[in-house]
Amino acid sequence: MREHPLARILLRGATALVLLFLLAPMVAVVVLSFSPTELMVLPPGGFSLRWYEDFLTAGRWVLATRNSFVVAIATTLLATLLGTMAAIGLQLGRFRGKAVLVTLLTLPMVTPYIVTAAAMFFAYAIIGLTGSLLGLVLAHTVVAVPFVVVAVLATLQTFDANLLRAAASLGAPPMLALLRVMVPNIWPGIAAGAVFAFATSLDEFVITLFMAGPGQFTLPRQMYASVRESLTPTILAAATLLFLCSLLFLLASEVLRLRAARKLRA
Amino acid sequence: MRRTNWLAALLIAPLLLLILGSFLVPVGLTLFRAVQDREVAQALPETSAILAAWDGQGLPPEAAFAAVARELGAALEARRIGDVAQRMNFARTGMRSTLLRTARAAERLRAPYAASLVALDARWGQAETWLLLRSAGGPVTSLYLLRAMDFTQTPDGGVVQAPTDERLYRTLFLRTFGISLLVTAICVLLAYPVAYTIARLRAPWSSIALTLVLIPFWSSVLVRTTAWFVLLQREGPVNGALLGMGLLEAPAQVIGTRIAVVLALVHVLLPFAILPMHSVMTRLDATYLRAAASLGANGMQRFLRVWLPLSLPGVLAGGAMVFLLAVGMYTAPALVGGDRDQMVAWFIANFLNRDVNWGMAAALSAYLLAMTGAIVALARILTGGMVGARG
Amino acid sequence: MSEILVSFRDVTKSYDGRVPVVAALNLDVHRGEFLTLLGPSGSGKTTTLMMLAGFEDPSSGSIALEGTRIDTVPPHRRGIGVVFQNYALFPHMTVAQNLAFPLSIRRLPKAEIAARIARALEMVRLPAFGDRKPSQLSGGQQQRVALARALIFEPKLVLLDEPLGALDKQLREELQAEIRHIHARLGVTMVYVTHDQAEALTLSDRIAIFHEGRIQQIDTPEAVYERPANPFVAGFIGESNRLTVQVVDTTRLRLEDGSLLATLPHALPPGTAALVSIRPERVVIGAQGPGNAVVEEVVYLGDHCRLRLAHAGRADFIAKLPRQDAMAVPTPGTRITIGIPADAVTVFPAG
Repeated sequence: MREHPLARILLRGATALVLLFLLAPMVAVVVLSFSPTELMVLPPGGFSLRWYEDFLTAGRWVLATRNSFVVAIATTLLATLLGTMAAIGLQLGRFRGKAVLVTLLTLPMVTPYIVTAAAMFFAYAIIGLTGSLLGLVLAHTVVAVPFVVVAVLATLQTFDANLLRAAASLGAPPMLALLRVMVPNIWPGIAAGAVFAFATSLDEFVITLFMAGPGQFTLPRQMYASVRESLTPTILAAATLLFLCSLLFLLASEVLRLRAARKLRA
Repeated sequence: MRRTNWLAALLIAPLLLLILGSFLVPVGLTLFRAVQDREVAQALPETSAILAAWDGQGLPPEAAFAAVARELGAALEARRIGDVAQRMNFARTGMRSTLLRTARAAERLRAPYAASLVALDARWGQAETWLLLRSAGGPVTSLYLLRAMDFTQTPDGGVVQAPTDERLYRTLFLRTFGISLLVTAICVLLAYPVAYTIARLRAPWSSIALTLVLIPFWSSVLVRTTAWFVLLQREGPVNGALLGMGLLEAPAQVIGTRIAVVLALVHVLLPFAILPMHSVMTRLDATYLRAAASLGANGMQRFLRVWLPLSLPGVLAGGAMVFLLAVGMYTAPALVGGDRDQMVAWFIANFLNRDVNWGMAAALSAYLLAMTGAIVALARILTGGMVGARG
Repeated sequence: MSEILVSFRDVTKSYDGRVPVVAALNLDVHRGEFLTLLGPSGSGKTTTLMMLAGFEDPSSGSIALEGTRIDTVPPHRRGIGVVFQNYALFPHMTVAQNLAFPLSIRRLPKAEIAARIARALEMVRLPAFGDRKPSQLSGGQQQRVALARALIFEPKLVLLDEPLGALDKQLREELQAEIRHIHARLGVTMVYVTHDQAEALTLSDRIAIFHEGRIQQIDTPEAVYERPANPFVAGFIGESNRLTVQVVDTTRLRLEDGSLLATLPHALPPGTAALVSIRPERVVIGAQGPGNAVVEEVVYLGDHCRLRLAHAGRADFIAKLPRQDAMAVPTPGTRITIGIPADAVTVFPAG
């Protein structure tokens, strides 16, 4: 079924404009980050890596990058482990109220970050976890873990439960069956959840603003502070690098999606 | 199968404990903090006890004057006076100075306290002051929840409108609601034709176009908002281009306006509208359209009577997702908006960080949570459980 | 064939606590036999197998293997091989790795594992397929690997849950022969679940016929076909004409249209109502001309013709006419005479 040719031209034109609107700001940031001067005008009138050099030599940016990656890696490990375990448990268990449990575990996904931030701020203040990287990792894990649970649960829908029965009939105890039969078959879902968790932690800003200590700047927090202080192209270099990371996440998630699709067809 | 359930419970338990301890209980505590009232009772226990027994007629007995003088002095010593002053000043502006002055003078005050306190500060001679102190005795108060809706309590317990100069929260919620609704409407209107076109494109082009939507989806909200901050500056590229084309005579101040907030929010949230619509539309079978055509429907009829109703769940899911994310948004308005464009989240943040008024932060959080809960529930009813699965 | 390997004692299984899926089941499986659990879907046969494998817990009663109760033993410690309908081969492992799985769990030495894999692949006639992934095999090949995997750790008992259900007819018959050979060669006890009666008749030493959670009859294929214990078995195994009759005396019954039907002697009291079952292939088609039946419909089926007759007041009486008969196939509308031998009539009390 084809649309009217005029309708088609209008639709495609509108789509192109919207896509341009979505992408133009990112392209502008990337281009401006190579500006040789402090002026942020297009075209930049030259090419320079001085803002990247500034980024890599300025102590606070390096520290923020280090903090961001330490927290993101720890969050990813914790969220992936806990989220995968919980998703498998939810799939295995035969009990009532499973839907309620799934809703509870994924509630942080639909709760405004500012409310989560406020709640954690109060609670962590009581037990003295505010201002520590451990507190930040726990907080990020809470908001990142629903993505792991959802991704793994989705993959588990395609997992044949008879494989676990087969493993048991062949003598494998439950844990061994999970590790040697289930996990190798659902790993694209686990990995996709891990990528999402990493991206969530790396991008997270609102909760970090409240939970992190005075010296604990992450990349988004450092960017926010710098924008409010004085706008220099160094921020754009940081933004470009973060943007690059998100392209990697996109690539990884697409590769995993294709792998999962191929596994399903096999 | 009891064994399997044990294993399942063992696997779920660690995450459930984390979510309970780090999310559900804290959120519950926050909701409780919106009605909790303990600063005065903790710092001035004896005063609170005497006032609780007082009939509220005229002025309280001498014992209350003596207790408040002694306990305010002790609270100053124990560095608790700040909490009390903050709490009382929130109930009635000006109470802070009265309490601090009395606390500092506590050592010098002599009996009869009823006389010496009034001599120090005339407020102690007003029945309202004592009624306010009594109503702050805890353990719970509706003060914060009322104030967050621009109401206040009279000393005798009635609910009235807050003073005109302190009214702002109803406007704030309406503004938050309005901006979110506008952003949602724009997103849905822009997303629908895009999702439709991508769903109907041929093989390599559909994936390429979808990737172009996924790139902003995966990149950080802060990066994208920062991009708009840079682009929209007075000396920035957008103004530069418009000036260069002769469309503007002088650079326009866009940062700090409602337009910048809406622009940044639409940019940040648009992929969340496109993706659910696209996923519903790609699952729509083209044979429906062929069937409609074979039954004599023309292009417009096929769209209005077949495609649109079938794609509506995606529209609802996308719209609800955008609205949900918009009402709680902090980053974008905080960065590119002005003081009059801020939304609920910004006020919560300020009450937490700047004003340290946790009761108000909690009350606003409670309302925001109720709002988002209503949206999720509504969307779930309308779409049959699609919303909240991913985002 | 008398040593008992498995015994179910008063086993009941119910998912909701009210409606039993399996009710008061008593069943003995003999060592070395091929026992088939046959029945329509929902009859409890698969649930029975799953309880034996340990994937379902009985609600009450006990299950014993070699005299030891196993209903509280987790499935991985029962040492029972299972073959699943959808094969359940581990998709991320090669054929050889699938076969090695139960052996590596039992910590057999590497050389022994390799030798056993080679023998197992030889047995199922797939010697060159060890390095393939299951997805690279056909359905029949996958099921042969699944069979080899269930046998490779030398279990005393192998359970097969509709293993050939997903295969086409020709492949199914080929694999039936293969399973029969393997059973004969290894002498392992097999319990087989199917809803296909032809498969059950082909393979089994004994067949247990399930209906509504209960065993209706358990006996050799010949016995369940020739001497069905009740009308359900008579109707479920093979085809049969079922007629309601009045008992006249020990060898005669009165049909609905008043005509008489001779039987072997039976014990039902005269004057009571009864039910008879007559196999279509036992009906003798006589000459054309004035007779006791009218041909309503003829279906040509290659090796035989299937006739639908109006007979004894019914319009759905079925008879099978073998093709070697010299007689020409009657056309619809002709009158014929049919005969029913007394030993072809099975009589049940009515109700």
